[in-house]
Amino acid sequence: MIAGPLVLVAAIALATAAVDDALAMPLRHLYLVPAAWAALRQGSSAAGLVGLMAGFCQGLQAFPMIEREGLTPPTLDALVALIAPLVVGIALGRLVDQARERGGRLDALLEIQRALGGEEPLEVRLERAVTLIRAALRAEHAGLVLQADDGTLAVVGSKASGAFRKDSAAGRALATGSTILVGDLDADPRLRAKAPRWPTPSRGLVLPLDTGSGRVGVLAIECAGDLGPAARRSVRELTLHLALAVENARLLLKERRFAQELEDKVDQATRRLREIDRAKSEFLSVVSHELRTPLTALQGFSELLLERVVPPDRARRYLGHVCTETQRLGRIVTDLLDLSRIEAGRPLELRPERVDLGELIERNVDLFAAQHPRHCIEGRVAAGLTAVSADRDAVDRMLKNLISNAVKYSPRGGRVRVAAAVAGDRPDTVELTVEDDGVGIPAEDLPRIFDRYVRIAHPETKAASGLGLGLHVVRSLAEAQGGAVEVESLPGKGSRFRLLLPAAETEI
Amino acid sequence: MRLLTAPFDPSARAPSALARPLLEVALIAAGGIALSLAADTLAGEWRGLGRAAASGGSHAGMIAAGWVIALGGEPRWRIPAAASAAALIMASVAARLAHAGAILYFLVPLVLVLQAGAARLDTRWIGWARPQTSRQVVVGMAAGGFLGLHLLLAASLTLGYTASVPSLGAYLAGVAYDAGANALSVEWLFHGALFSALWRRWTFWPAAAVATGAGLLRYLVDPTFPTAPEAAAGAVFYLTILGLASCALRAWSGSLLPGYLATLAFFAAYRTLHV
Repeated sequence: MIAGPLVLVAAIALATAAVDDALAMPLRHLYLVPAAWAALRQGSSAAGLVGLMAGFCQGLQAFPMIEREGLTPPTLDALVALIAPLVVGIALGRLVDQARERGGRLDALLEIQRALGGEEPLEVRLERAVTLIRAALRAEHAGLVLQADDGTLAVVGSKASGAFRKDSAAGRALATGSTILVGDLDADPRLRAKAPRWPTPSRGLVLPLDTGSGRVGVLAIECAGDLGPAARRSVRELTLHLALAVENARLLLKERRFAQELEDKVDQATRRLREIDRAKSEFLSVVSHELRTPLTALQGFSELLLERVVPPDRARRYLGHVCTETQRLGRIVTDLLDLSRIEAGRPLELRPERVDLGELIERNVDLFAAQHPRHCIEGRVAAGLTAVSADRDAVDRMLKNLISNAVKYSPRGGRVRVAAAVAGDRPDTVELTVEDDGVGIPAEDLPRIFDRYVRIAHPETKAASGLGLGLHVVRSLAEAQGGAVEVESLPGKGSRFRLLLPAAETEI
Repeated sequence: MRLLTAPFDPSARAPSALARPLLEVALIAAGGIALSLAADTLAGEWRGLGRAAASGGSHAGMIAAGWVIALGGEPRWRIPAAASAAALIMASVAARLAHAGAILYFLVPLVLVLQAGAARLDTRWIGWARPQTSRQVVVGMAAGGFLGLHLLLAASLTLGYTASVPSLGAYLAGVAYDAGANALSVEWLFHGALFSALWRRWTFWPAAAVATGAGLLRYLVDPTFPTAPEAAAGAVFYLTILGLASCALRAWSGSLLPGYLATLAFFAAYRTLHV
């Protein structure tokens, strides 16, 4: 309060009135003290009032003196002393006001920076920053419209007042980068306002938030009373810092997102590596088992034939088993060789030639039908189909792998249909389909069914042997020959593999 | 928040609706004053009544100009302006006939209140509203009282004037004139309508300076303004301070009442000064 300085003014007035003019002259300069006191404590308004009161008090002595003596050096001194407290008080008070304002602004900026640098979502932080801005500027309303790099807008701090419009003052400032000052929101024709309503005008100010490298949004404030040049400068300074703070917050957010993405990718890669490592270990174990099984059979039957005298028909049967196991062993070794070539990035040794699919299908169907009597394996070649242009041995391996898979995943027996025909959608391509009515493949596993070491777990096919390489080799061989392999499957209904190979040119 | 939600047309300009009605008011007031003064010269034993009517007409012109600004130039200003003018001229003539007639001056603020209420005219924006707190009323009276007291002391110490009330009837008639015409018209037009309109465009100090300057001009052209240089200088000084204080009180309280009371208090002191 300014009671203290005012009491001091009264005391000085009484003192100067009590003494004669000669002593009163120097005493008058004491009026500077309460003016300075008020300026330092309350700023320019209080200092102005105290200086005015000091002037009034001095006037009661100075004016009669001027009336008596005219303009003489002592009366001029009295006039200067009369004005001095007012002028000095206001000047000092303005300096104090400016210093306080700067201090307050810096405090507000620190608070805003702190609010924007928190851990909460950006919207929450911006909401808090807007609240601080409103308090710092003593505004009734404050709103922030932020524009992201992709053009999307975020509006903060104006929830209670309807939706943001692009043709509003803030929208136009955002589009043009101009500053908009509204003298009275109730009466400005640009806002289609008709007539003022309240005794105190509501000022509006919209400032773009410019970081120097681009506009990040606009700040809009509405406040009652004056919004003079000094206040506008303050707001402008605040918006500059705010723009940088928003930009920093965004960069921090981007950095965090990037770090999170990187972490996720590393996690994913680590998981994949672990999976591959586990699959390789499993693969080694399976390979050992797969190799040992036919070897054990080979060893057993050959020992029997060597050590015992067996009747010819039994010997023939034993030799049949030996032959089957040798073929199985051969397939495993071929698959492994193919895999090692594929993994090493070496081209597969393929010799394209004219391959008659009818003969190939018939032979393989007979072979598998003989080995798997519980299954009904059928082969069918469409009329008019001649041949494909591919490596004979590769086509044979692919067909064997597909039929072997169909048999393996139809544990309760069933029908396996092998067919060849010209692809309906591609006349220059032959499709070779292998269809079963086995356990099928779940939809989520279909995308990885052709990956290496992948074996789809199913309670009914647990006992089935395999390396998880067959389909991978099929795809690699098909692609190496300009073909492709596709699959359709329904769990519990069966699967249909479709091998596409280029048709051989018709012989003349 | 209107800056975000209201459509904004940067090319829109307010139509200049005030010039024509203000000119109309000025012409009517000038014509009325001229007629009254002319009639006064021919009045014979009723001499003086024309001058009184002219005085009432000048204040009525100020009140009417205030209405024009307060209503943004809408044609509705005519009826309240005419009612105020009638009350003012009647009071002025009645006061000329007898001191007791000055009591009619109190009708003028009443007419303003009734007209604003009856026609549902929103004049709050010019400060025709209650102050926010009663403290603001006290501050207004204290400011005017202090200035008046200072005037008495300064005038008695400097110019040898004395403070006295030789005729209570004349003094009270003067106070009634201030309440219903002098202070009311100045506050209504200069510190109400004009200051409020300017404050909406500019900041406080330029608006207060122009409004105070215009108010000062009104006193400078008043035939009763002191003619002696030292007295005129003193009057300009006090009226300037009073005008700025009224603007400050109007801005602070949102009401014309504290400034009006300050002006009344000041003139109540001023009317006790005698050579």
